[in-house]
Amino acid sequence: MKKYLVGLLVLALMLAGGVTMAQDVVLEFQQWWEPELPEGSFRAILDDFEAANPGIRVETISGPYLTTKDQIIASAATGTMADVVGLDGAWVNVLWKQGALHSLTQAMADADYDDSELAAQIRLAGETYMIPIANFIYPVFVNLDMLEAAGIDPPSTRAEFAAAAEALTDPDNNVYGWAQPLSLEQPNGIQNDTMSWLWATGGSMLDDMGQPNLVDNEALADTMAYIKSLHDAGVVAPGAFAMKENEKVEEFVNERVAMIINTLAHFTLIRERNPDLNFDITALPAAEGYDGPRGLPYASWGIGISANTEHKAEAWKLIDYLTSVEGNSNLTSIANAFPGNVNATPDFIQTDELFMTAFEIFQAGYLANEFTGLPAAEELMRQFDEPFQLYLEGDMELDEFLQIAQEEWEDIFE
Amino acid sequence: MIGTRRQILVRKTLLWFALLIGACFAGLPVLWMVSSSFKSNLEIFAYPPALIDHSFSFDAYLAVLSDPGQLRFFFNSYLVAIMVTICTVITSIMAGYALSRYDFRFKKALSLVIIGVQSVPPITLMIPYFGLIVWLKIYNTYTALVLTYMVFTLSYAIIMMTGYFNTLPRDLDEAVMIDGGGSFVTLWRILVPISLPGIVAVGVYTFMLAWNEFLFALTLTRTNDMRTVPIGIHLLMGQHSFEWNQMLALSVLGSLPVLILFLLFQRYFIAGMSAGSIKG
Amino acid sequence: MIGATQGEIAGATNNISWDQRKRKLLPYAYLSPTLLLLAVLTVVPIVTVFLYSFFDNVIVNPNQPKFVGLENYVDALSHRKFRAALGNTLYFAVASVVAHFVIGLAFALLLNSRLLGANVKALFRVVYILPWVFTASIIAILWRLLLNPHGVVNYVLLELGLVPELLEWLSDRDLAIHAVTFINIWSGYPFYLVSFLAGLQGIPDDLYEAGRVDGANTWQLFRFITLPQLKPIIISLALLDFIWTIHQFTLVWMTTGGGSNSEVLSTYTYKAAFSSYEFSEAATLAMVILAICTFFGIFYVRSQRMADE
Repeated sequence: MKKYLVGLLVLALMLAGGVTMAQDVVLEFQQWWEPELPEGSFRAILDDFEAANPGIRVETISGPYLTTKDQIIASAATGTMADVVGLDGAWVNVLWKQGALHSLTQAMADADYDDSELAAQIRLAGETYMIPIANFIYPVFVNLDMLEAAGIDPPSTRAEFAAAAEALTDPDNNVYGWAQPLSLEQPNGIQNDTMSWLWATGGSMLDDMGQPNLVDNEALADTMAYIKSLHDAGVVAPGAFAMKENEKVEEFVNERVAMIINTLAHFTLIRERNPDLNFDITALPAAEGYDGPRGLPYASWGIGISANTEHKAEAWKLIDYLTSVEGNSNLTSIANAFPGNVNATPDFIQTDELFMTAFEIFQAGYLANEFTGLPAAEELMRQFDEPFQLYLEGDMELDEFLQIAQEEWEDIFE
Repeated sequence: MIGTRRQILVRKTLLWFALLIGACFAGLPVLWMVSSSFKSNLEIFAYPPALIDHSFSFDAYLAVLSDPGQLRFFFNSYLVAIMVTICTVITSIMAGYALSRYDFRFKKALSLVIIGVQSVPPITLMIPYFGLIVWLKIYNTYTALVLTYMVFTLSYAIIMMTGYFNTLPRDLDEAVMIDGGGSFVTLWRILVPISLPGIVAVGVYTFMLAWNEFLFALTLTRTNDMRTVPIGIHLLMGQHSFEWNQMLALSVLGSLPVLILFLLFQRYFIAGMSAGSIKG
Repeated sequence: MIGATQGEIAGATNNISWDQRKRKLLPYAYLSPTLLLLAVLTVVPIVTVFLYSFFDNVIVNPNQPKFVGLENYVDALSHRKFRAALGNTLYFAVASVVAHFVIGLAFALLLNSRLLGANVKALFRVVYILPWVFTASIIAILWRLLLNPHGVVNYVLLELGLVPELLEWLSDRDLAIHAVTFINIWSGYPFYLVSFLAGLQGIPDDLYEAGRVDGANTWQLFRFITLPQLKPIIISLALLDFIWTIHQFTLVWMTTGGGSNSEVLSTYTYKAAFSSYEFSEAATLAMVILAICTFFGIFYVRSQRMADE
């Protein structure tokens, strides 16, 4: 019987081991992008890379965003991280801190690479560890039909936004002006739907040294008070404290919410789900009287190399390709993203009117996401989220909320 | 007589009333899942909600069933669950036999350890467990999943098997022993055939757990060719959006094997559980 | 001298002794696959986590781990959030166990009624175990859908006039922990149901006959025959379930994320590990949960042994 058992295990092992070509260098590429893109389209880009670089094969390891994050961190802890990894600004810091990432400054020097085409590089302690290759900005999506019915224009200032939200809200019919997802499971609503208001007005949540600056920060306090006034006015869709990003979008698609701050990545999805929805995008409203450039919240698909990989040169070749004019244009075209290469031009910018608007918003403002590269960024959002919810409910004063958040943040920064 | 008949009628009515309330409690959420799996992603969130609406279609099911990647999840789930079931049944029969029929020095301590394993919270072991699996070079293999699920299922399976063997008279195997049969013969030729309800109970319990396990299946696999149905469902939750109807369709399809298994074996299963739960 | 005597005896009865020895070793042989598996796959990680809990700078820090003694425990146990999570966990577990017991037993009694035909029973058995066949992540998603402010639960309650307005089940600080507990109750009672069904079938009919002869009514039959007969099952199920409920992570994480006052120890631990990357703290919390569960595990073993005797 035991023999039988062993036999089964052996069978399992045989089934499990894949057969790989011996000569080729195989690069493992772990990311959450493949499931987000039209089926087969990401593979097609990698096929192009393989065709241009004989002897290198790319094996994708794909999963949903949240689990990819957990897996990359767990595999970094055990020294088994994939050769090339997709990175998010929210967790690049922890990987860097444990020495799991290879310096891209080094890789660029080794390859004699000219980095002048790169739109951005995420530097930690002076060296680059992550290159954003696709950027998704977060403008305000507005439901034009609802706005027209109420006889208002897309808002440009906070007061206009509040007035519009008020006019669009109709609780009897379950229609609300705005939705703010504040789920603690996925606290990125703090980044996208909360701090974004501050950045749009040129404010900052950090001081000049890059340390938390939540107390005695007038712009921040004003922003929080403004958001509370929206909640108090009853114009925010119910369920905010457990709402996740995707639910915010569902509410908008179902025309129960008139305005949301949302990533351009959702563009195709919204059109697919509800082809009748008549919507437009506009820049995030700024405080009254602010006429400086508006910070645009954004999220990136970043890329990096494992410190443990034996194929650093090949790994860099892949990054080189994905950041090249050709590769980057192809990738950002299918992802509806703004390119990481300044010379790349994704198709949609010429063909779609809404994207032209987005591009104008993009050019008029600057990319702002202060969470990128911070230690335990997700935890920062969560620690901010908890007292913020109490404040919104009226169970905590503004000063106390910011004081608590400041203390929690200082703990994490230590 | 009429009074009694009337009493019975009243009782029957009350009984049916209670049964239907219970069925609503258990079944309505599932009914909603099934009905939503036929809706479009837009209509799933419609308010007021409707059980069946104009968007009714089999699209989500077609999408799932025509996708070789999704079918692979089913293949993996079957393979893993069946292997876990076979291995757990064999291992727990042997362990249960030892605990039921032999007295030995560390019996109490060992049974304590076997039972105690259940009180280890799996989530907390994640990181070192992950490291161990990598170190054993079985990361992202069926073997890792099979062994992991055996760890989860074995302790209750052994409790059930020991309990079941305890209900069988010892004279039975002693008679065989006296006739010159070894303990091995006794176990496999005599005890196992008459323990079928207990074995089925262990098997069904194991299969269900292995079929539905999520957290470790997620952590211990990283390529889609090793992943199981619960992960397949999870993969439909994107960074920004969910494929709600496909997710629900996949859940409905994924639950069918377990339901059919229960339907076929429920009598055995319940009979087997009784021994397991009364006497550990 | 004594050794020599023993040797002589052993030599004289060589055959029997070998058989005896074999008989002594046999149970270990039968247990060996189990023990090997458990030793490698549970003891090793537990010991690792146990060690982590006494160090700082583990895993995500390139610096050498630093031994800090019991400092992690003092820090973890004195934290305000830990106490809140502990309180919620106990509520979550106790309420779940009690409700599982009540619902499981009620359904089992219904299904055990003599007034029902075999096919009807078989059908309802399948309906009643439905919640059991879904994985926790699906149950979480399903209930998020149902309990959405614009979901069907609110709609039905509102139409029936049972609630004044749309309730935010999973995000209201007063409701969330109860909503999560309810979901766990829904998903977990079938295990009791099946076990009780099994237990009820094992109660000999003569006991009830005798009770009826003595003039006992239905309640008394239940109180003095059914319950005492089921007692061993009840105790072992309740303890096991208590442990399993404390372990429950996916359900809570994917419904509320531990927000709105619904943080439990498992979500709190997960956040320490995968959100704050404080693996020492996470390891310490793991050991605390393990200690709580082991405490109840000992009762479980005791109850098992009592049933044996």
